[in-house]
Amino acid sequence: MALLERSSWYDIARDTNWTPRYVEIDELFPPDQSDPYGIPIEEWESFDEPYKVSYREYVSVQREKDAGAYSVKAALARSRYYEDADPAYLSMLKLHYGAIALSEYAACQSDARMTRFSKAPGMRNMATFGMLDEMRHGQIQLYFPHQLVTLDRQFDWAHQAHHSKNWAAIAGRHALDDVMMTRDAVTTSVMLNFAFETGLTNIQMIGLSADAANMGDFTFSNLITSIQSDEARHAQIGTPVLKILIRNGRKAEAQQAVDIAFWRIHRLFAILTGIPMDYWIPLDKRDRSFKEYMTEFVGEQFERQLLDLGLERPWYWDIFLEDVETHHHCQAAATWAWRNTLWWNPTGNVGPRERAWLEHKYPGWNDTFGQYWDVIIENIRAGHPEKSQAIGMPAICNMCQIPISNKGGTVWKARAHQLDHEGRLYSFCSSVCKWIFELEPDRYKTFNSIADRMYNGEISPNTPENILKYMGAGVISPVGTDAHDLAWAFA
Amino acid sequence: MSKPLAVIGRLQYDAHTRIIDVETGFTMDQVVEACLAPAVGYQARHPKPGATLLVRPTTDTDDAEPFPRTMTVEEAGLRHFQQIDVFVPQDQ
Repeated sequence: MALLERSSWYDIARDTNWTPRYVEIDELFPPDQSDPYGIPIEEWESFDEPYKVSYREYVSVQREKDAGAYSVKAALARSRYYEDADPAYLSMLKLHYGAIALSEYAACQSDARMTRFSKAPGMRNMATFGMLDEMRHGQIQLYFPHQLVTLDRQFDWAHQAHHSKNWAAIAGRHALDDVMMTRDAVTTSVMLNFAFETGLTNIQMIGLSADAANMGDFTFSNLITSIQSDEARHAQIGTPVLKILIRNGRKAEAQQAVDIAFWRIHRLFAILTGIPMDYWIPLDKRDRSFKEYMTEFVGEQFERQLLDLGLERPWYWDIFLEDVETHHHCQAAATWAWRNTLWWNPTGNVGPRERAWLEHKYPGWNDTFGQYWDVIIENIRAGHPEKSQAIGMPAICNMCQIPISNKGGTVWKARAHQLDHEGRLYSFCSSVCKWIFELEPDRYKTFNSIADRMYNGEISPNTPENILKYMGAGVISPVGTDAHDLAWAFA
Repeated sequence: MSKPLAVIGRLQYDAHTRIIDVETGFTMDQVVEACLAPAVGYQARHPKPGATLLVRPTTDTDDAEPFPRTMTVEEAGLRHFQQIDVFVPQDQ
């Protein structure tokens, strides 16, 4: 029997709207979970996704993607690639899997909320595929590192990180809870599908894929390319939602949602992507610098999408551009210095050649971040490697939950932006994190950072050993050490 | 009676802001020492070896009056997690 063209049945098949007779519309779609903006339901029926797919097509394509990823994995496993890989490269994988695998399951729940509570039938349809996408991403990114646990126990953090109280996991959960898990279906779509997935996922998936391919790790390269192809599809849910919001006089709310989510996810991805790209990948295997990727995928592509939709650049655009050249360098240094808190083994990897590259890509690097590493290298060369391990605690941002650091040296920009709210002093890494808090203090004010927990009795006694234990460092796996045993310091 | 208090130290030229454990009975000179201890020689250098460092509350313009060196934390009214600068005054 001949099949109809998809275009001749698609609109009818995905239109599952009906008029409820036994409940009120607000009971079927409670505004706080569905649409708090009061957009008329007829408007939502105009939702038109740019990428059409039927379930039959979806299953067929996804099956092919999975088969491809698993066959490449099997082939590479036979070559014992991971047994011989650069330890710093393995750290990139550990960081990625720990941070991302269960975040994908979290995203599955976000898409499920859109599937249930979106008033737009087309959006519910697309979100259903998005939900299945994220489930696949969770499963495949748990399965792939699981085989590596026998090689290195730190790979177990793919399963463990999100259930731990490790500071990096807390930072990830705080942002994802804010952006994906605790908003209504409409705002979640703007924040997740547009700001997060359209704005920033490319940098993690395409950027790291290129570096992984250069490293010969076709398993990981193929895996994240496969994931990105799903992201590129379901990310498109956000654009029609934004068009409807703007058309119905909700541009300010849409802009605010974009601005919050974009900043929050940028702060995470700069660590997740920027540090491996600019520090851990061997110099001759680096595709481009983090800044160059951000300039292309965010500074040009995403900015153009924003403007085309009628939105503005986030108000903090200049701060963001400066952060792209600063934040990941600060955290490369901080995470390395406090490496005993991590589930991966970072490398300093700032020998003379690497420093020349960093200075070329980030003019002024030697006078700021370089001075930090100078002290560390002097200690190591003088026979005091123990002094390269930080003692004490950095201040932690009460929004992004990341150490509050900035350029050192004579420019000296490290500073906590503080706010007295209801008698409690909150500290923020930037005016942007502070702005997000001030928009809705009741949403954030009771959350305690890892630093707060050291002083409110939750981590008691707050000895270094007990703090590490609380974070799972040395419990779930051995703590982080320098991936190259400090060899780079003698280059 | 002196009580423990955590402040956020911002040591001149350091890339990190750090949590510093002090006592309310500490003088500002003792606060300086507490701020230097986890930073200098680890990831930071002394801002100006030989110079006397002072403490001031952090402000946006970096120009608050420093606390007298013998003033105690309690007398200065420092609060839990209040940020302070540890810096070299211009005349040194």
